[in-house]
Amino acid sequence: MAATESKKQIGIRGEDLACAELERQGMQVLERNWRCRLGEIDIVAAETGPTGLTLVFCEVKCRSGLGFGHPLEAITYEKMRTLRQLAAVWMREHRRKASSIRLDAIGVVLAPGQEPSVTHVRGVG
Amino acid sequence: MASACAWSVALVGLEGRIVEVEADIGAGLPRTVLVGLPDSALYQARDRCKAAVSNSGQEWPISLLTINLSPATLPKAGSHYDIAIVAAILAAQRVFPAEELRRTVLLGELGLDGRLRPVRGILPATLAAQQAGFTRVIVPLRQAGEAELVDGIEVFGIGSVTQLVAFLRGLPMPVVEPIDVVGEPAGKYANRRLDLADVVGQVEAKWACEVAAAGRHHMLFHGPPGVGKTMLAERVPGLLPDLDVHDALEVSAVHSLAGFNLADQLITRPPYSDPHHSASVASLVGGGQRMAKPGAISCAHKGVLFLDEAPEFQPVVLEALRTPLECGMITLGRSEVHARFPARFQLILAANPCPCGQAATPGGHCQCSPVVVRRYAEKISGPIRDRIDINQAFLPLRKAYLKAALQRAESSAVVAERVQEARDRQRRRLAGSGWQTNGEVSGSYLRRHLPLPDGLQVVDEAVDRGRLSARGVDKVWRLAWTIADLAGHDVPGRDEVAIALAMRRGEQPGAVRLEVVGP
Repeated sequence: MAATESKKQIGIRGEDLACAELERQGMQVLERNWRCRLGEIDIVAAETGPTGLTLVFCEVKCRSGLGFGHPLEAITYEKMRTLRQLAAVWMREHRRKASSIRLDAIGVVLAPGQEPSVTHVRGVG
Repeated sequence: MASACAWSVALVGLEGRIVEVEADIGAGLPRTVLVGLPDSALYQARDRCKAAVSNSGQEWPISLLTINLSPATLPKAGSHYDIAIVAAILAAQRVFPAEELRRTVLLGELGLDGRLRPVRGILPATLAAQQAGFTRVIVPLRQAGEAELVDGIEVFGIGSVTQLVAFLRGLPMPVVEPIDVVGEPAGKYANRRLDLADVVGQVEAKWACEVAAAGRHHMLFHGPPGVGKTMLAERVPGLLPDLDVHDALEVSAVHSLAGFNLADQLITRPPYSDPHHSASVASLVGGGQRMAKPGAISCAHKGVLFLDEAPEFQPVVLEALRTPLECGMITLGRSEVHARFPARFQLILAANPCPCGQAATPGGHCQCSPVVVRRYAEKISGPIRDRIDINQAFLPLRKAYLKAALQRAESSAVVAERVQEARDRQRRRLAGSGWQTNGEVSGSYLRRHLPLPDGLQVVDEAVDRGRLSARGVDKVWRLAWTIADLAGHDVPGRDEVAIALAMRRGEQPGAVRLEVVGP
């Protein structure tokens, strides 16, 4: 199945796994694949901690193998800078307030015939 | 999350300082940061190490990797930190126990395939590690012999990252084809075995060479082309005694740093260096932006530096010799550090009298105008001339003399024996002073601790007439001692002083002896 999966399908499956991981950690997924003129936010989630509500803007990168390196290596400084701008736009449009925001990155490896591996890095931007 | 450290050595001149390489695997997007004043060759270590680790079946951490080289204020240059960086990273990942790296210095550059490449300066770096109290050094396999020249430290030769991992885990090491050392073999000169007997005639000049070899005095050869100036200069190192263990280690360390291949042996013969007259200042005295390399004068440390066609050198290059000639070392100042190299060489300059080479030569027809001749001579400046002990004129040979001289030329071995005897006398006399030869002794020590030679009025006269500088007096004095040592006298007498003065001033010894010392 995995061998014939298209790029888009791999991406969607990766984001599903990423959402599952965030929810497992007790976060609430607010929105997926939110688009505007500047670009796209893969996942917006909310985390309630001792200091109040934290909005988590998450970039997900998924790859079907390590042949081109780990997916996290493909998340560049440029991408994170765009994500920061997108976060500001998202908050303005949704009129959401939070005590803090955080940018996370999630790398998903979907190697054929292997258990998917999800790596979550908190607070990268 | 995890961190570990390994140790390497930064070479500042000949002096090595221990560098701690820390690797920290922390949270963050995968990125490798190298901090601690690396130069560009060292900054590229990041990419080399990454490829080497991946190609050795190990994993490069997928997170924020920070590598710190401390002390951070010391500029670090070169590629020999690669293996220490990789060791620290692998230890941080617990590929092998981090304790295995304690008291161990690692040296070597990595190829992309994970094999270890030889680097220059293994010998001085190993010396530094041993002096800093490290008990083990890990070097590229083919350079283990060079590191083993240092006593009191355990040496391990390693061919690749896979071998390093196996070794530190205590597993049998896989077979790896090691990378050979490149670089010109050191001590190439000593293997040429040039004999003094090959030089026809020039008995006086040969004797001057003998005196120079016995006392380590500087010489200036001048004369028309083709009379044997270069031939004779090349044969001077052959007259010098072997280096003692201390000197051999120092000379070998300099050559190791200069990138010569020591071939697992100490250099025991005095080195010889003859840079071409197109040489730059940096090539002569040493240079380089961050990791300064020793120049020709340091490669001639404890040996002979021969500058053929001296007037053809750029003036600025020749003048750069002034300080090292006096203090026996060169200090290269850079923004952050001062690199110091030993440079106690014996200088031999060779010069033609004028551009056509025939001025003041009996039977020669010089076509240069007097101004041109004077300008040519001025290219070797007064301060440099003042540091020369022996001015030796070469005259063209006559045919009859050529035939006669062919039969009874002395070989280098015979002369070297006399030189050795003179050296032994000097060593006994100078025991405890820190010097070994007359040429190196300071003027104040000469005057204070050694008995005054007879016949000093000759020297006083020369000073009064302005024909000898204060430095010149010391030079004549030292030369007189060497001549006495060669002759087997305990103290130089009138004869020796007179000969020394004549040699210093470039007169014919025989003629002067008649004039000054005669009844």
